[in-house]
Amino acid sequence: MADRLDEHDGAEPEDALGDPYAGTAEAVARDVDEPLVWFGDVHLSFDRPILKGVSFTLRPGTTKIVLGGSGSGKTTILRLILGLLKPDAGTIVVDGTSVGVLREPELRDVRLKIGMVFQEGALFDSLTVGENVGYRLIEDGHLPEEAIEERVREMLGFVGLATHYDKMPSDLSGGQKRRVAFARALVARPQIMLYDEPTTGLDPITATTITDLICKVRDLDGVSSILVTHQLRDAFNVARSFMLKKDDEYVTSVVEDMATLEGTEFMMLKEGTVVFEGSAHELQTSTDAYIREFLS
Amino acid sequence: MPSSRTLALMASLVRRLADRFKESILSVQDYALLSWRGLTALATPPRYPHEIIAQMDSLGVGSLSIVILTGMFTGMVLTLQSAASLDAFGARPYVGRLVCVSMVRELGPVLTALMVTGRVGSGMAAELGSMVVTQQIDALRVLGSDPIRKLVAPRLLAGIVMVPILTVISDTLGIFGGSLIGIFNLKLSWEFFWRSVGNALTMNDLVMGLLKPVMFGFILSSVGCHMGLRTTGGTQGVGLSTTRSVVVASVLILSSDFFMTKVLLLIFPVK
Repeated sequence: MADRLDEHDGAEPEDALGDPYAGTAEAVARDVDEPLVWFGDVHLSFDRPILKGVSFTLRPGTTKIVLGGSGSGKTTILRLILGLLKPDAGTIVVDGTSVGVLREPELRDVRLKIGMVFQEGALFDSLTVGENVGYRLIEDGHLPEEAIEERVREMLGFVGLATHYDKMPSDLSGGQKRRVAFARALVARPQIMLYDEPTTGLDPITATTITDLICKVRDLDGVSSILVTHQLRDAFNVARSFMLKKDDEYVTSVVEDMATLEGTEFMMLKEGTVVFEGSAHELQTSTDAYIREFLS
Repeated sequence: MPSSRTLALMASLVRRLADRFKESILSVQDYALLSWRGLTALATPPRYPHEIIAQMDSLGVGSLSIVILTGMFTGMVLTLQSAASLDAFGARPYVGRLVCVSMVRELGPVLTALMVTGRVGSGMAAELGSMVVTQQIDALRVLGSDPIRKLVAPRLLAGIVMVPILTVISDTLGIFGGSLIGIFNLKLSWEFFWRSVGNALTMNDLVMGLLKPVMFGFILSSVGCHMGLRTTGGTQGVGLSTTRSVVVASVLILSSDFFMTKVLLLIFPVK
């Protein structure tokens, strides 16, 4: 584990630069009963119904793992949270703001609180890795160039790609692209991280690197997250692993007894409806035929 | 009395036609909205000067060689063809006048726009379409950028500014090519050819020849952006958008040319 992340310089994020992003993630240390994301009876249809009355909450400091087959509406949930889609009916609240009714310019503040890792990374082809990671900071224009470069290098170090600053996305492997996307999502220190199938199409070792990063962000920075995946192995990896920092080294531990897991919830979608919501232990012991088939 | 099967088929056909019609209306509405937002984005900050310069370079400098070749050969062939027809009336000396007016008023703007559509309009559709299918447009929005300001507005401005400049180059080289044919093939004197060009051109011709490419530049870039941003269906969809953008922009350029000519002839009549 430490080998995989040893390129990280171990530096804690610096807040002393008059940094407007400083402490954004710390905001999660507020009332834990207040949901960070709330879906209330959300419906959405295109040619066919995509979501049919989906309701759930994401509490601060927790991770929700959304499972389901292809076309079950998993990615749509993330797009709704980001305001990229509008629901036909129902309410979506992100950190106290109802995003379903906001216009595009008004969504900017909400999106600043969210980091998104897209399925294939969605890196901008025409920009270097450094420019991709620093894109949000450059667009905001709040930080001087030196501070942006410092932050970008810090984030690239965090994902183990410190030496790739000047490379183009086309020079990276699939796993490296996802890690750059990770750094880009984290650069503004979001309160919420959304992961859309971050390990799909990756080999098991690279997939573990990605799930380790998810745990690292969750356990060390206290960022709440929603992980959409149909890779059961990676979903349970994230649920069972937790990361600690000991003597400047990252140490991963694995919980053997699923019944003792806290802070991670599973949700399963089937054809746009929530068929299961609960802990990893409850998921594994469920007698529902669809869940049993999905897990088998 | 038609059978129930025939009725069902007819109902299905009507439904599909209605869906197609609704889709077309929606597409026109989307196009109008995109164009309006793109133009208004040019008037208000934030603007992206690097993007604007990059697009002008890509559209203008990048298209220079094809525009030079197109203009030159069009002027040359026009001179040859016109001379053959004018000879029947003993009017060969008027060939310079005919070539320059044809190039400036009609062929320069239209051919330049069509060539740039093929080269750049399709490229815009392909580039934006690829960005849509790889979720880069979504990423832009999530990261706080407005894709219309960042991607559409610079392309519109590049089209509006660079197509008229390319047209002037095309016109000039077309007339120059015509003069070469006039001198070496038709045995006209250099001085005579260029004097007839100077005598033939009026301010109305120049205004008409410069207003059209502004409109054509807007059409080719707005259609390219519209088709690109409406891409669905992965890489196959990108190919379809590219083809559609060239077809739609070319048809719009040719049809708008007719209507613009009608209107401009009323405003700036030929003396």
